[in-house]
Amino acid sequence: MSADASDLSLVRRVQRGDKGAFDVLVLKYQHKLVKLVMRYVRNPAEAEDIAQEAFIKAYRALPQFRGDSAFYTWLYRIAINTAKNAVVSRDRSPVEYDLDRNNTDESYDMQGRMKDSETPEGLVLTDEIRSTVNAAIEALPEDLRTAIVLRELEGLSYEEIAEAMACPVGTVRSRIFRAREAIDRRLREVFEGGLGRAEELG
Amino acid sequence: MNEELDSQLSAMFDNELPAAECELLARRLSRDGDLKARWGRYAVIGAVIRAERGVTLDGTVAGRVNAALSSEPALVEANTPQAAARAAQLRWWQPVAGVGLAAGVAAVSILWLRSQALPGGAHVVMPAMVAGTSALQPAAQSALQGASATVPDSFVVPPVPQRPMMVVPATELADYVVAHSAFSWPVSRGNLLSALMVSEPGTSSTPARSEQPASGVQGNAIQNPK
Repeated sequence: MSADASDLSLVRRVQRGDKGAFDVLVLKYQHKLVKLVMRYVRNPAEAEDIAQEAFIKAYRALPQFRGDSAFYTWLYRIAINTAKNAVVSRDRSPVEYDLDRNNTDESYDMQGRMKDSETPEGLVLTDEIRSTVNAAIEALPEDLRTAIVLRELEGLSYEEIAEAMACPVGTVRSRIFRAREAIDRRLREVFEGGLGRAEELG
Repeated sequence: MNEELDSQLSAMFDNELPAAECELLARRLSRDGDLKARWGRYAVIGAVIRAERGVTLDGTVAGRVNAALSSEPALVEANTPQAAARAAQLRWWQPVAGVGLAAGVAAVSILWLRSQALPGGAHVVMPAMVAGTSALQPAAQSALQGASATVPDSFVVPPVPQRPMMVVPATELADYVVAHSAFSWPVSRGNLLSALMVSEPGTSSTPARSEQPASGVQGNAIQNPK
């Protein structure tokens, strides 16, 4: 089994003209990319702009992607270059004196978020999503919680998780799926009751 | 929703689904809005578990990218590396196929010319054709026999018009060549001298040409061997 088979199958679809498949890739990697870009820029709104630009660059460069490396490795490289260029061009622009630079990370983070296009409703929704997911994880049976955390937090493969939990790979797949289902059931209520922008993408 | 499908979706999200199943699911995923929304929520769950601070979780970036790309044209297959590789393969085969075709045409032409150039203008007769003639109707066979009876025993080659020849005695020509040998290339001089030696009646190892036709050859007429 190829480690990147699912991404590659989506990439091939985009290369054949299926733009919907690119939405799927963006949905999967948007958070990771914003997080990555925030190593270079501290403002979350600016990080989102750079991530958006990186995705658009990736889409335009996708015809040249041959699949020699994993898609996310290639995407991350584009994002890092875009972030570095953004930092360089920002440094060349007139200096902004930010008197609040000495504040704590948390307050700067909130200020950055409120500075740009982010709406208060969006921030509330994000906080609600976070608390819902955390509560749902806490409510999971231990074997499901361990499986999903090892996968998402530690980035272990199913085989590695199976070894760690002393169970077959099929059981790991089932546990991770059931954990996601349990969390998603509660999360869906938040999205359907809130802005539900992910639904709009469909 | 189908539980097996959801299980596959979860495995695909983790890059743990076999490639063959990925192809089918990717196709469905790119078209099914509900499935895509579920996929997006799986990404949100991962982001929360990893405690990605400062990252908005309401799909802002995805929505903005989608809106920005809505005016972009869809990618066409001609631009992909796979299509380029296929085109390169075709580019490799095209000259080979061309050379093969040209060789085939040349071979057919040579066979045709050889069949035309057989002595007496006779054509190559395939054994199958010979066998086929034995099965002909008696009337057709008699017609063929009648036709063969009209063919003469000898094939007459049209006489070549005689042109007056300037006869130069060989000894005089040899003197001329020797006299001018100082001004000619050694190789050509050797060739010319050897040619003269061959044409000299007394020095040649081959029989001298006779002005009279050999036996069996009368004038320009060649006896048809039977």
